[in-house]
Amino acid sequence: MPNQLGFDGGVVIPNPYPVEKVEIIQAPLPNQVVLPLQQRVGDQAIPCVKVGDRVLTGQEIATTKDSFCVPVHASVSGTVIAINEQVIPHKSGIKSTCITIESDGKDEWVKNPGCGPDFLHCDTSTMIEYIRISGIVGLGGAGFPTHTKVARAQDCHTLIINGTECEPGVMCDDALMQYYPREVIRGVEILLHICGASRAIIAVENDKQEAFNSLLMYNHNERISIVHIPTKYTSGAEKLLIKALLGVEVPSGGFAPDLGVVCQNVATTKAIFDAVVESKPLVSRIVTVTGSGVEKPNNFEVRLGSSFDHVIAMSQPNKRSHDIRMGGMMMGVDVKDGKVPICKITNGIFVNDQSKKPAAQECIRCGACNQVCPVSLLPQQLYWYAKSENTDKAMDYNLADCIECRCCDYVCPSHIPLAEYFSFAKALHRKTTDDQYRTDIARERFEFREYRLERNKQERTEMMAAKKEELKKKMANDKAQKNKVAAAMARVKKSKKASDDA
Amino acid sequence: MHSGVLNTNQIMRQVIYALALGIIASYYFFGWGIVFQIVLGVATAIVVESAFLRIRKLPIKPAISDGSAVLSAILLAISIPSIAPWWIVVVGVSFAIVFGKQLYGGLGNNPFNPAMLGYAFLLISYPLQMTTWASEFLSFSQGFDVFFNLSSIDGLSGATRLDDVKTQLSLGYLVHELQIYSISQSLISIGFLLGGLYLIARGIIFWHIPVAFMLGILTTSILLFISDSQLYVPPQFHLISGGTMLGVFFIATDPVSASTTPKGRLVYGFLIGVLIVVIRVFGGYPDSVAFAVLLMNMTVPLIDTYTQPKVFGR
Ligand code: SF4
Ligand code: SF4
Repeated sequence: MPNQLGFDGGVVIPNPYPVEKVEIIQAPLPNQVVLPLQQRVGDQAIPCVKVGDRVLTGQEIATTKDSFCVPVHASVSGTVIAINEQVIPHKSGIKSTCITIESDGKDEWVKNPGCGPDFLHCDTSTMIEYIRISGIVGLGGAGFPTHTKVARAQDCHTLIINGTECEPGVMCDDALMQYYPREVIRGVEILLHICGASRAIIAVENDKQEAFNSLLMYNHNERISIVHIPTKYTSGAEKLLIKALLGVEVPSGGFAPDLGVVCQNVATTKAIFDAVVESKPLVSRIVTVTGSGVEKPNNFEVRLGSSFDHVIAMSQPNKRSHDIRMGGMMMGVDVKDGKVPICKITNGIFVNDQSKKPAAQECIRCGACNQVCPVSLLPQQLYWYAKSENTDKAMDYNLADCIECRCCDYVCPSHIPLAEYFSFAKALHRKTTDDQYRTDIARERFEFREYRLERNKQERTEMMAAKKEELKKKMANDKAQKNKVAAAMARVKKSKKASDDA
Repeated sequence: MHSGVLNTNQIMRQVIYALALGIIASYYFFGWGIVFQIVLGVATAIVVESAFLRIRKLPIKPAISDGSAVLSAILLAISIPSIAPWWIVVVGVSFAIVFGKQLYGGLGNNPFNPAMLGYAFLLISYPLQMTTWASEFLSFSQGFDVFFNLSSIDGLSGATRLDDVKTQLSLGYLVHELQIYSISQSLISIGFLLGGLYLIARGIIFWHIPVAFMLGILTTSILLFISDSQLYVPPQFHLISGGTMLGVFFIATDPVSASTTPKGRLVYGFLIGVLIVVIRVFGGYPDSVAFAVLLMNMTVPLIDTYTQPKVFGR
């Protein structure tokens, strides 16, 4: 029997900063927004406005043809004041080209096309195009362009809507389901229409009863079911969610559509509704602000491109100095400071009092990490090989399947940053295989050259031999010809002589 | 990353606390000897480990405070007879720390359980001292005199029940003619058993090894007992005798030298149990926990390789 509604491993982590009531607080319009043109995947979008241009909320300001990339929209109305390199929220603190808009405070919207409430009359490709021009990407944190994902999921039978919070402490999806259940359900119907799937399952963690009830209240579609799954960290990971709901494992190296399944996050689903029915592009998102450094953790609906500080200020930060992290406590990335802009994948902002990390000790092989790895790897063995940079052996132990969820780090009594070692080992392996690839290519080239030279030589000798042969033949021919001619001449002579004699 | 689970230092400390019941029981029956052994053993461990770390130019404090050296010293100190002379524990612990741990690169890198390596070394080198056990409660001064060779141990000592039974059986006695149970041994074993259950309840050790270990002992001894109940002692005797319970919960579960995969742990524990009975019954040594554990330590890399769990989606 398949292990219904569950998967092995993972860790139960209670929300470290619980709130009394999960809310969505509207953040005020920011004075300016910074909108990066480089998104999580794909090419950089190309600006289609100039410094000094006036733009309206929802207006396309950068465009793209790459199917892994989506257009960028102005998230406030106002004036473009700069198009330049700025630090974006990324773990290496890299810079990217950004468009800065100064808000005029009016929030005037541009009118975009859409299907309206009768979306069932729209055809699928039109809807997918609306999703694309609205700039929607996976809002759970993956940031993969949604139009490409749904376009590729045309033959799926099951649609899974991920209503699990990807990480402990983040509450934005919980809040979204409570505040916008109608939009979520309608969004699911749109997706069902697009993908042609026969059913949709909305998965909600069993500690989110209110969100569950709200969805239930608005769901009148028998193709959509809403189910509880156990609250456990990494249930939100796509492949594990599929395992938990359907009892099947996406093959290593494969993708959900291979099994006829497509997953979408609830926030993405609502954004699809906004785009297709309300003609609104993605210009805002819900962000959780939490951590030991704020007094009032909660969720904020905020315009994209607002600075982290803009929402942190609303949750009453204390006066101490903070470490700021984007995403969750497990898989998030530390950012340089609160000036970086909120982007489409910013689901959470952790503001923590600065603290010293405990020093890593030796691995005592206690095996705690083996027990929690949701993909059943042996982190302790991987660590051994990653540490000694023996990446081949680490690959034998299925390093490639590690989802870098950090469950193993979380339980390691020796505080070893295991996942960091693994991401390093992966990078190293890519590099060595690249190098290997290059030398292989070089060797092949060399061998091919040798072969070519050899072949040329051979061809040449063969050709020469053939020519010689031909020549000989020709000569022989010529001789024969000559003989023939001579014989004819002789005959002519002879007959001539005979006639003369006559 | 902060989490609700214990860190390595706390784990070692918890294991030490869990030993307390067994140690108290042992004190109750045999007196002060065990206290002297532990105190001198721990002191030796700290001195030797510090000296070695200094030679290796490594920071001393973090390594000492992780508690692993102290734990090894205690495990060895309670495994040797409480009336063994002082230098036995000093030699044994030094050997365990240097050859069992530091020469391999310190905590986490040693393939063998250091305490058992020290024990095996002592048993082979000093068989007489290692097999003479206290037969009654020794007061502080008696224990002190014996420990420092100030008085003879005649009259205070004897063989263990395990040893005794073995000798008797080899002399041709039948099982029903022998006195095979001993109150002191049973209660000490129960002390370690309770400590072990505490560790499992706290999530500090996993159940796999202890359960498989006991199953290994039971399966083997039941088979023998069924084959001839007059030649082979009943299975429960093996469970409560010698260092079985200490081995089950505190020695075989030493994470560093044990198998780390869930399935591997079952195999590892079970085979230790089998080996213990086999060596006790057919081998030349009275107790065999140390040898069984060391033999199985050698097979850990092999077991780990063949018991990898099925990876998600593969
Ligand atoms: S949890 Fe940490 S100490 Fe324990 S085996 Fe894994 S890496 Fe080693
Ligand atoms: S980070 Fe990798 S090895 Fe560690 S638990 Fe997650 S998937 Fe397993």
